[in-house]
Amino acid sequence: MHAPGGYFFKRALRNMQQSPVLSLASIGTVAVALALLAFFAITVLNVQQLTASWSKSLAIVAYIDDVPEQSVVESWIARIEDYPEVAAVVFVSRDTAFERFRKRLGEDADLIEGLGASILPASLEISLTEDARSQAAVQAVVERLRKDQRFDDLQYGQGWLEKLEAFLLILRFCGAGLGGFLVFAALVIVANTIKLTLYARQDELEAMTMVGATSLFIKLPYLVEGALQGLFGGLAALGLSFVVFRFVLQKSLGSLLLITGIDTIHFLPPIWQFMLVVCGSLVGLMGSLFALRKFVRFGAS
Amino acid sequence: MIQLYNVCKAYQREQYALKDITLKIDKGAFVYLTGPSGAGKSTLLKLLYCAERPTRGQILVNGRNITRYGAAKIPYLRRNIGIVFQDFKLLNRRTIFENVAFPLEVQGRKRFEISKKVYQMLKKVGLQHRLNHHPVQLSGGDQQRVAVARAVVVDPQILLADEPTGNLDPEVTLDIMELFKGANARGTTVIMATHDRDLIRQFPRRVVALDAGHLSLDDMPLFVRPSASSGSS
Repeated sequence: MHAPGGYFFKRALRNMQQSPVLSLASIGTVAVALALLAFFAITVLNVQQLTASWSKSLAIVAYIDDVPEQSVVESWIARIEDYPEVAAVVFVSRDTAFERFRKRLGEDADLIEGLGASILPASLEISLTEDARSQAAVQAVVERLRKDQRFDDLQYGQGWLEKLEAFLLILRFCGAGLGGFLVFAALVIVANTIKLTLYARQDELEAMTMVGATSLFIKLPYLVEGALQGLFGGLAALGLSFVVFRFVLQKSLGSLLLITGIDTIHFLPPIWQFMLVVCGSLVGLMGSLFALRKFVRFGAS
Repeated sequence: MIQLYNVCKAYQREQYALKDITLKIDKGAFVYLTGPSGAGKSTLLKLLYCAERPTRGQILVNGRNITRYGAAKIPYLRRNIGIVFQDFKLLNRRTIFENVAFPLEVQGRKRFEISKKVYQMLKKVGLQHRLNHHPVQLSGGDQQRVAVARAVVVDPQILLADEPTGNLDPEVTLDIMELFKGANARGTTVIMATHDRDLIRQFPRRVVALDAGHLSLDDMPLFVRPSASSGSS
């Protein structure tokens, strides 16, 4: 094959120009499928942001019934802060704990009137680094603290953590499943749309084989055409999802997230935008490849 | 040179389109392949450009056995063979210029060379003024001129024509025949399938006749024979 790359690119553009309806159908299919994928990605991304903000409040509380001298407590704190999973350790004295409890009771604070700070234990509040906000990492820190045997009780919101992780797992699983399904559907539709184009051009393909064109020479413009349609579809999906994000999602999802304390919702990060367009090109290319498999025949049987 | 040895082609079991054909065609020859419809003319041509494979027998083109050519080799064989069909088989979405240029593009010729050759070729067939038209804008005769131009623009060693004048009026038929004669005069071996006896009478050349897949006649008109034995099998 001797023709320069520009030849195949030019031919692909000419093919699209000559079959505008079918080309638009392919581009539209990719655009709709990828826009759906983009909406879902935006939702998942923002829900993940929400759960990440929830997990910031994740901490291990180690209760101490008999509080030792301050220097001993400080040495414990220093040792725990050396754990790689630990971000900070704060000592909460009985008095501080009692004061917090009283504040939390608000108008009902008179219920504990006459009781002293001794009813509540002192504790160490151990907050974790961002990477360690998982069940496994929390469990590892708790195991180490248990071995220490200095603490009377350890609390770390185990049930809540399990639910959060299960929710995130389901979200990711649904995202991957739905995303995969949408990409596959786009692939099949694009392949069939390109097949329709090829049916219409079957005589042309046969004529090409008669003058000595190799299989690759015939197929390349169609592959480039598929990739270009996918690229345009990907760009259209990006534009469409941005418009919907700006005028629909940002309002509906934004007000939902505001309730939970998140002030801004985000569009896809640049790398995801790039991946969306690349994904469009690949869908178009693969669709052409599948469609072309059985179309170029030289007739020898 | 084209050689066929005991070539058989059956599309269905025991139903032969061609049976036991042995034939030799010299380089630069002009041969009519004739016979009634269904005699096997088109099948024989298809075997020569590898659109079909023989069920039995061997086919040699310029000393190469093409009988078992695979899909990767066929395009390179066809670059040395010009093919003209009764229904033209032009690329309808491309201009006349692009149609004639296509075989040269396939061969990777330089752009300026393509432009020059295509223009010269279209001038030769009298269509240089319609190079930007599409095939559907031309008459049947002009479309066949384009098909011939596309077939001969690469200076093929062999030109195969399957009833090229079947749908054309007598005047256009004569023009097309002149184009074939011109290609033959430049050294191209021409094999033309036809059942137009008037045409054979007007332009007498070697006649290979088929009947129900059998070779029924291989005859050179006396006044065409340069010597007693040349050109016949």
